[in-house]
Amino acid sequence: MKLLKTLVLAAALSMAPLAALASPETSTMAEPAPGEILMANVNGLVCDFCAQSIRKIVGKDDAVQKVHVDLSKGQVRVDLKPGKSLDDAALEKLIRKAGYSLVSVDRNIAK
Amino acid sequence: MPPRYLVAGLALAALAAPASARPVSYAGGWTLMQENNGMYSSLHAHYSPTATDSIGLYVEQNWDMDTRFTGLQYNRLVRRWNAPESQGNLYFKLGAGAVDPFDGGETELGSFAGIAADWETRRVFVSYDARARDYGPDEGVSHAARLGVAPYVAEFGDLHTWAMVQVENHPDADEPVTVTPLLRFFKGPLLVEAGYTLEAEEFLLNWTWRF
Repeated sequence: MKLLKTLVLAAALSMAPLAALASPETSTMAEPAPGEILMANVNGLVCDFCAQSIRKIVGKDDAVQKVHVDLSKGQVRVDLKPGKSLDDAALEKLIRKAGYSLVSVDRNIAK
Repeated sequence: MPPRYLVAGLALAALAAPASARPVSYAGGWTLMQENNGMYSSLHAHYSPTATDSIGLYVEQNWDMDTRFTGLQYNRLVRRWNAPESQGNLYFKLGAGAVDPFDGGETELGSFAGIAADWETRRVFVSYDARARDYGPDEGVSHAARLGVAPYVAEFGDLHTWAMVQVENHPDADEPVTVTPLLRFFKGPLLVEAGYTLEAEEFLLNWTWRF
């Protein structure tokens, strides 16, 4: 019986490192889905100060991960954090706070 | 020794007047605006609690009148027109403070009020600024207008360049009407302007830093 206990303990200990090696794989598989991407069409974007204002104000929102301003297209791309959302009214408020006018929002933009 | 020159340069810059760039930032934004030309040097440091208001310190060293104005300036964005490829603005400005003569004379109360309008695309810029001042012995109305063209269209973060002409009218000055060709360079939070006033034979150097 004592021999059996020793063998079981030894087997358990020998498996532990394998389990530790397996854990990173498990966490990789559990990686969260990427956040939603919004494309806002904005009026009044004519200069760097405009772009800077948008980035500062929109970028401060808890749901926002990254902001990119395209002056040529008059568009603001907003990458949201995984699991977060930002409705049109909230985005419109942020854009207005920066001094500009939101025209429309396209959602589910491909990366 | 170089730090002394740097400190002296910054002190001179801090004594520098009315601003040519937009006087209201985004909500929570700070702006430093500094102007130097043959007539005055000014510094306007302001904070925008909202996207339509800003308030801050205004210091003007007037070389023409040998006076220094130190006070508060309030700016109001009265109206903004945001269009797909352009933006127009109408501002109201108000200032009040103390006027000190360079010769150590009596300090007087001073004030000014102004309106400014601008319209720009990524290629064309036009603006008009009118200002009425009461600096004790020095009072009057002045006007300034600008026309600018961008030789190329730059993206956000790139260097933006503008070629501009500024026409000013100071009815009480030795040269009532002056013309100043200037170049505006704009990158990220920093805007710098350099020009030369033909009639007064004086250089112009302005900068704005927004953060």
